[in-house]
Amino acid sequence: MPHLSVSTNPQSKYCPVWLICVILSLSVVHTHASDVLRVPQQVTLSTNFKEQQLSISWLGGAATTFDIIILRTELNITVFYGTVSVPLDQVSGLQRWNWTSAEPLECTSLSVKVRSRDGQETSEWSNTQNLQGSDLPSNEQSQIYPMNRVVPVGANTTFCCIVKEGQEFGYIKYGNAVVNTTRLSRRSYATTVVNQGPSHQSGANVVCFDSLTTLIVGAVVFVGYPPLLRDFVCETHDLTSAVCRWNVRDPKLYGRRRTKYTLNMRNCLDEYEHVPQKKCIVQQWEGNWTLLAVNPLGQYRLTDSAELSHRVYPVAPTKLRVDAHAWNATVHWQWKYSSYFTLGLVCQVELTCHGIIKNFTVSGVGLQSALLSKLQPNEDYGVRVRCGAQQNFWKWGNWSQPLYFKTKTFVPDPPDLWMWINEDNTGQVVWKVPLNRQSHGQIIGYEVTVWSREENVQHTHTFPPDAAAAAIDFTQIVTSSNDTKVTATVIAKNNEGSSQPASMVFRLTETHTVAVSRTVYENSGFRLSWQSDANTTSDYVVEWHDSACSRNCPVEWIKVLTGITNVTVDSPNFQPGVRYTFSLYSFSSEGRQLLQRWQGFVQELVPSSSVLLSASQQDTDVVLTWSSIPQVNHRGFLLGFNVYNSSGSELKLIANLTDKEIRSYTVKGLSEGTHKFTVKAYTSAGEDSGATASITLEPYIDWLIFELLTSLGVTALFFIIVTFFCYKKRKWVKRAFYPDIPEPKLPGDWSRTQGPLDVKPSSHSIIQIVEKSDQDSSKEMLVVIPEEDEDEEEHGMGDEPVDTDEPASLRYYNQVIDERPIRPRYPDSSTSSASSLDSGRTDVTYTGIQTSGSSLVFQLHPAGSSEDQQPPIDVIDSCSGGGGYRPQCNNAHVASHELFNEPQAYASGGYKPQSSWHLDSPTEAGEVGGLAPSLGSPTSVASTQFLLPDGERHEEEKQASSSASTWFTNLLSSSKP
Amino acid sequence: MAHRRSRHISVTEPSRTTMTRTTAIAEQLHYECCVLLELYKKKESFTTDVLVADGRLVTVPPPSSQLDTTDKLWRLHSALLQCSSLLEIAIIKEEEELGGGKTGDYESQRKTVKERLSFLLVSMGELRKAVDGSVSLTPTLEGLKLDGPTALFELKLWIYRIFEELDYWTKMVISTLQGLSSVLAKERARTTRMRSTRNARR
Repeated sequence: MPHLSVSTNPQSKYCPVWLICVILSLSVVHTHASDVLRVPQQVTLSTNFKEQQLSISWLGGAATTFDIIILRTELNITVFYGTVSVPLDQVSGLQRWNWTSAEPLECTSLSVKVRSRDGQETSEWSNTQNLQGSDLPSNEQSQIYPMNRVVPVGANTTFCCIVKEGQEFGYIKYGNAVVNTTRLSRRSYATTVVNQGPSHQSGANVVCFDSLTTLIVGAVVFVGYPPLLRDFVCETHDLTSAVCRWNVRDPKLYGRRRTKYTLNMRNCLDEYEHVPQKKCIVQQWEGNWTLLAVNPLGQYRLTDSAELSHRVYPVAPTKLRVDAHAWNATVHWQWKYSSYFTLGLVCQVELTCHGIIKNFTVSGVGLQSALLSKLQPNEDYGVRVRCGAQQNFWKWGNWSQPLYFKTKTFVPDPPDLWMWINEDNTGQVVWKVPLNRQSHGQIIGYEVTVWSREENVQHTHTFPPDAAAAAIDFTQIVTSSNDTKVTATVIAKNNEGSSQPASMVFRLTETHTVAVSRTVYENSGFRLSWQSDANTTSDYVVEWHDSACSRNCPVEWIKVLTGITNVTVDSPNFQPGVRYTFSLYSFSSEGRQLLQRWQGFVQELVPSSSVLLSASQQDTDVVLTWSSIPQVNHRGFLLGFNVYNSSGSELKLIANLTDKEIRSYTVKGLSEGTHKFTVKAYTSAGEDSGATASITLEPYIDWLIFELLTSLGVTALFFIIVTFFCYKKRKWVKRAFYPDIPEPKLPGDWSRTQGPLDVKPSSHSIIQIVEKSDQDSSKEMLVVIPEEDEDEEEHGMGDEPVDTDEPASLRYYNQVIDERPIRPRYPDSSTSSASSLDSGRTDVTYTGIQTSGSSLVFQLHPAGSSEDQQPPIDVIDSCSGGGGYRPQCNNAHVASHELFNEPQAYASGGYKPQSSWHLDSPTEAGEVGGLAPSLGSPTSVASTQFLLPDGERHEEEKQASSSASTWFTNLLSSSKP
Repeated sequence: MAHRRSRHISVTEPSRTTMTRTTAIAEQLHYECCVLLELYKKKESFTTDVLVADGRLVTVPPPSSQLDTTDKLWRLHSALLQCSSLLEIAIIKEEEELGGGKTGDYESQRKTVKERLSFLLVSMGELRKAVDGSVSLTPTLEGLKLDGPTALFELKLWIYRIFEELDYWTKMVISTLQGLSSVLAKERARTTRMRSTRNARR
């Protein structure tokens, strides 16, 4: 600080001053620095328990930034530590800072310290200031905070429970739920309930329990909404006072916490705190209104302003009274306020009759009555009235209480008259019983008059009130005149008098024939339309009735005014499935005239009955015929018939007949057997249940005969062709099938005499085939019979030597073959021969094997049947060695032996028609040898048994072939010149 | 009450009828009290751990076998009268603090109980009159703490205790009157026998 140096120059007299200034300035700076970081003094605490707010004030000098620490005294837990900027309160010279505690301040004691801060520099902490909680030992009782708190919906609230000294804390329940808790001090425990929902009317309970689940203490918290209002409006009923109304949202706060309302600073009594519509009455119309709603959670303000004449909301008229007449009435009422007498009013009169509402509007100053016109006599009405201001209409007032009255009676209207005439000129005058609006009172009777000019006599009859028809007989009138006009008149009567007469003129010679067309029922009824007749100036009548009815029908009708050419007819009497006939008449003073006729159904149904069905056979066809269904059973327009074949399990449609007049149908191409047919009539609604007929088809005789003749013709033709062919080719056939056998050279005419012809055939020609026809049993046949059989010789002679190489002599007979059953022809050979049985065909006689054949029937030599006898082996050799056709081979014994003992050899033998038979048993085989001697006798045995060996069908076929070849042979032989 | 004990008790036929009617009303009230208690517990979400017995609100002389019928009836009448006073105050305070005007099941049942209690009190008065001849000694309400607690939770518990108190004393009325009926029946039978014996001796 060179400038602080002392100088002796003239200027030096200023140096002490300068120095003092420097010193003073340094002193000021130092003083300022020590003043900024001064320790806060006079720290004081003040509380707002309801808001849980702690206000801390202190003397902090010039500092504006302070550190504040708040601790829970008992457990020394910091609940707040922070640096805050607190401006100096110029008035008090104190710094003040508010802190809101999460817990109620009563929960536990708090300690507060403050220090000044200047950047990083801080002063010392102030002295600790304590806020005493309610958990001090001196306060021994159990407590809970906050009590009776009101909080908004969605708030978080911390509750603390201070247990009694010496008591052990257990848990806290909010409502019925146990909640988590935090220990604040030795006796204090807290819990925080977050996002609280609206509580019910008596609030939500917060209850503390000790460790023994014994209730310690409880509190109630109310969770609701601040006020919210709308639709605030003020009106006047009496033209003096104001009635202000508004709607509120339910704040969920009731009782002591309910919302309180003031209107223009005057309290409004809210008697019904649960009702959302509120009202408040101000005795004088003020023009401007301010509504203030206040509850513990807030307040809401609404305003309204209007002139009185613009807010007239009339009260309901009172003391209604009616002066009723037959056709009109006057309704009177009174006003509650005399101020209405000078008020221009518009009023609505609502008239109700049988649920039908009519409104009349009348207006006038101080209106107190209204005329109701166009009423019906003897009718019940209800009336009520409401009004509004005619000028500056605001809204309709309230309806008055309804008043019910009845108009007076009056003479009836003329009845609605109609006429039904039967074909026999009887009929009835019909009329509609008047409705109440037509009778105008209780009907006491009707007077019906019938009059004709020709007769010139009025026939008048009186009928009771429930009558609606009067039978009439025009038979006598008709006989006197061909074209009689009759006038019918009906008068209805009640206590007020008689109606005007209802008259109708009609002719007894009305025509009833007119083309009938169809009409369809639509949603609202049958729509009928017709061509307008320019010449007709009369009204129309549409009449309808059940088409099935023909005499004194219950008829309905409506009148149609002139010029109208269509009408929709509906009736509560319409029934589905019933055909209705609608007739359009024009009527005038000259009578009525039938113009048009329709028929239709409200709803078509399936026919209620079926046809009567019958079936008959016609050649190979079946003709179905059925009757018609009675029209009353049609229940719809018949569209046709469906014909089904119902022979199987399902109906098979075979014809759809769209011609409803058709009554028969022919089913063709049927096979023999039983057939069932079903015929169903159908309408647009579907088919009826159907009628079924059954028929069994017999064979067609003509066709049978034709078939038989045809087959016979074909067969005959075939045989002719074959015969012709064989005849033409007989040489070839003979050469191929039957080569020539040398004829025996015998003297004389051997063929004419009956006697044996001994020949010496070769050893392989011992069998001769004889063909015999049934139809020609007398035909002479050449039978070849072996003179001696080898076996016979062997077995029959016993000890005689056998010479198999010697050909046996054959004896031929041109005898007649007996067609009778097997029988002996000769005593010797009767047992070894049998006749061929009649088969209707060609018989073949195997003479070469007759011995065995006869053994089946007779037994002449019992000794020869010994089992010891064996067939000669060498005979087998003579015909063995291969198959093929060997008609000359006599191996009967071999065959029989082989069939019995060596079936394998037989099977490999090939076709052996002459040796294919076999014996039935070994015993029988043994008999063969015993019968052998008879072979030499002139015996012929015919037997079919040999052609059908047991169990060998193919052999049977071979035998047949053999028979055919024999036949050919005979044919060729007989045909040989 | 010593002077009342010395009185002669004569049970007439009308008193038996009144006793029967009073018993019937008490039984009906008992049932309605049970319903009211259930509705209140449901309304306040009170569970069993909340509802603990905490002494009687009604103060009457202790029961004793030395009490005669008149004193027994007086005791019951006094208790019911206190219950009625407590109930009225409970209703007023409940509506004042917690709101009224609602017409729920609880409010309807509370109204029913209040009216039934009035009938029972009237009937008890008639019974006492029939038995004792007069009801000059009307039970007093002295000593009854009619100002409920200020804390709402305590108020709720207090209201519940009033309902319980009413239920308790209704049961006491029923049991006492039933006991009296049997005693009176025995006395009547004994009197009848004595008269028969006396008439026979004559």
